[in-house]
Amino acid sequence: MDLALTDEQKARKQEFDAVCKELEKKKPPSYLGFETIYENDEAWEYNLYCAKEFAKKGWLALGWPPEYGGKGDMMDKVLFAEARGYYDVPGVDIFGVQMLAPTLLQAASEEIKREFLPPIARGEVMWCELWSEPNAGSDLASLSTTAIKKGDEYVINGQKTWNTGAHKGDWGFGVYKTDPAARKHHNMTFILFDMKTPGITIRRIPYLDGNAPYCEVYFDDVHVPAKNIVGQEHEGWAVVNLLAGFERSGIDIIMTMIRGLEDLVKFCNETKRHGQPLAKDPLIRNRLAQTACELEAARALAYRVADLQNRNEMSLMDAAAGKIFYSELGERLAFLATDILGPYGQVKTSRWAPLDGAWERMYHEHFITSVSMGTNEIQRNIMAWYGLGLTRMK
Amino acid sequence: MDLRLTETQEILKKMARDFLTTECPKTLLRKLEQSEEGYSPELWKKVAELGWMGLIIPEEYGGMGYSFQDLVVLLEEVGRNILPGPLIATITSTFPILEVGTEEQKKEFLPKIAQGQLILSTALLEDEGVFDASGIAIKATPKGDNFVISGKKLFVEMAHVADYLLCVTRTKDGASPEEGITVFIVDSKTPGITWEVIPTIAADKLCEVRFKDVNVPKKNILGKVDQGWPIVEMMLRKGAIAKSAESLGAIETCVEMTVAYSKERVQYDRPIGAFQAVQHKLADMWTAMETSRYLVYETAWMESEGLPCAKEASISKAYINEAYKDTAKWAVRLHGAIATSSDHDIPFYYRRSKAADIAFGNTDFHREIVAQKMGLA
Repeated sequence: MDLALTDEQKARKQEFDAVCKELEKKKPPSYLGFETIYENDEAWEYNLYCAKEFAKKGWLALGWPPEYGGKGDMMDKVLFAEARGYYDVPGVDIFGVQMLAPTLLQAASEEIKREFLPPIARGEVMWCELWSEPNAGSDLASLSTTAIKKGDEYVINGQKTWNTGAHKGDWGFGVYKTDPAARKHHNMTFILFDMKTPGITIRRIPYLDGNAPYCEVYFDDVHVPAKNIVGQEHEGWAVVNLLAGFERSGIDIIMTMIRGLEDLVKFCNETKRHGQPLAKDPLIRNRLAQTACELEAARALAYRVADLQNRNEMSLMDAAAGKIFYSELGERLAFLATDILGPYGQVKTSRWAPLDGAWERMYHEHFITSVSMGTNEIQRNIMAWYGLGLTRMK
Repeated sequence: MDLRLTETQEILKKMARDFLTTECPKTLLRKLEQSEEGYSPELWKKVAELGWMGLIIPEEYGGMGYSFQDLVVLLEEVGRNILPGPLIATITSTFPILEVGTEEQKKEFLPKIAQGQLILSTALLEDEGVFDASGIAIKATPKGDNFVISGKKLFVEMAHVADYLLCVTRTKDGASPEEGITVFIVDSKTPGITWEVIPTIAADKLCEVRFKDVNVPKKNILGKVDQGWPIVEMMLRKGAIAKSAESLGAIETCVEMTVAYSKERVQYDRPIGAFQAVQHKLADMWTAMETSRYLVYETAWMESEGLPCAKEASISKAYINEAYKDTAKWAVRLHGAIATSSDHDIPFYYRRSKAADIAFGNTDFHREIVAQKMGLA
């Protein structure tokens, strides 16, 4: 066991922190966390600006092999994620940089890598993910949208849903049924396509707070070059599983929560109730300390996941456990913070809202982590079936 | 960053597991819980031969010179199997001697501890049952070359068989409760000391110890007169990490036994582990185990490196206290009625989860330390 950073790592960590700290100062008022980049044009511009700044430093290609413009190693990626999370700075496309790039590196043809990796590294092309369908959520493999090969093209028909930021994405990746006659898990292909392709219609889904970061995407005879696939034809399920394994330590999300807790501590020290600072209330002290313990536990597990990824090992169990743990911790933290704020806990960003209304947002935003990328319920099933060896549901 | 165990640690772990599985079966534990001694002197000797009491004692004092991290790996195995007796009491009472003992004290005690010739325990708690300095009332008064201790200590683990007690006393009424605390190494055979075993949930032989005009030579003062509280804090910090490691091992057993049982117990024509109600709970138990593991490893690493880790030690203890109690509770629940019988092994862990929670500071005690360290006014 050794958690020490090398001198070089310490230096890079300082640089990551310094750059993110500077970028934090440039946040527009409409940027209120990761999801807002998909809700507000000004916040989206800020996201693109941060992406360009990171691209200049080569930080969107951390851990990639040098032949594709890569820089640094996986540990740098972890340190960078910590800095971005703590200062809550966007600019790292969750779909392009975090999910697709490592998948391409591992599973795509040389031609596809050469075509799609450089624009990701330059922060030029933003991606979106098209997986879920109205009748294929947790049971994703039961999807029905088809991509039928005709000559050197696939023709896609059907509907995807819950696609975060699809209205902003330049390109999309998804899985489509390419061999409807074949058995489940061996009938789909992982396809990349331009979101401007004719036949694609995007409809935004109102989220429960009235914003709309998610979309439905309809495909009506959408023609896509057949070369734009990752992995083997009809074997897209393997690529889905590969992709799902990347960047799941959640360390950035955990660091955002750690910062949130620090802000909450400051608020409790400065805010008086019953003639004394909130911080003196034993119940509040106990609950905040409990959350601090759980956050440290989440961080320790995230390091474990990162440590495994650094060695190119993957632990399905640790990644699933970490996701469940930090997402439900997010729920508890949101509930706790809005309790502490009292009547102010319900106030949206406005002059009445303490801490910019961050906790009112968090009270409904926490579902992003507990529901997306496999609900926590299906994650628990995955742990039980594949990790603990218990009987799988038919 | 590398979170894997070192080769030495892997060897230590395997050796400990093999030894405990063979030498300390649950039949022995069941017997010892009902015995007066609560431990097996024969097994204690074998443990001494393996060098466990002297694991972190430097070689120059007859120990093995291992790191604190290594100790944590060992204690994880101890908790996994359960080893009843004075191992943790002795090791945690050794911390202060190692850290602030005089050369003379180190030479006198450490080699004997390493050889298993001495059993030590720490007498900290009193009537109020609190882990902070305000709970220390027992008086030690100077008299010639001695101090005279009079008063009562409670919940002193294995005091009935201890050779020496580290007694935390009040030698002065200071401006704050932390001032005026002095720690003595007291020979338990000194006239005036009497004890009684308190019946407890884990049958782990916690004692009430009465001191009546007990003379302790000044040379047996640990650290400085009136300035002993930081020694207690250090011992609580290291003890909290050590106890957390032991609890981690116990959590592992709870998880493993319950997963195994879920695969073999059939109801409604299928193993109960096929039901999602059971699967999801097991997934949560596994998560509690894994978060506990990396919390305690991280903290042990910090302690080993000499980094300040009072906050992290309290975080670990507060978190793992709850994780152990909860995991042990669910181990019973998922086993069903069978695990409510004393014939079953799970109840050992369930009962001990409460004892582990209290030892070296319960959850609320450690959360308050965390609250202070995280900057709450």
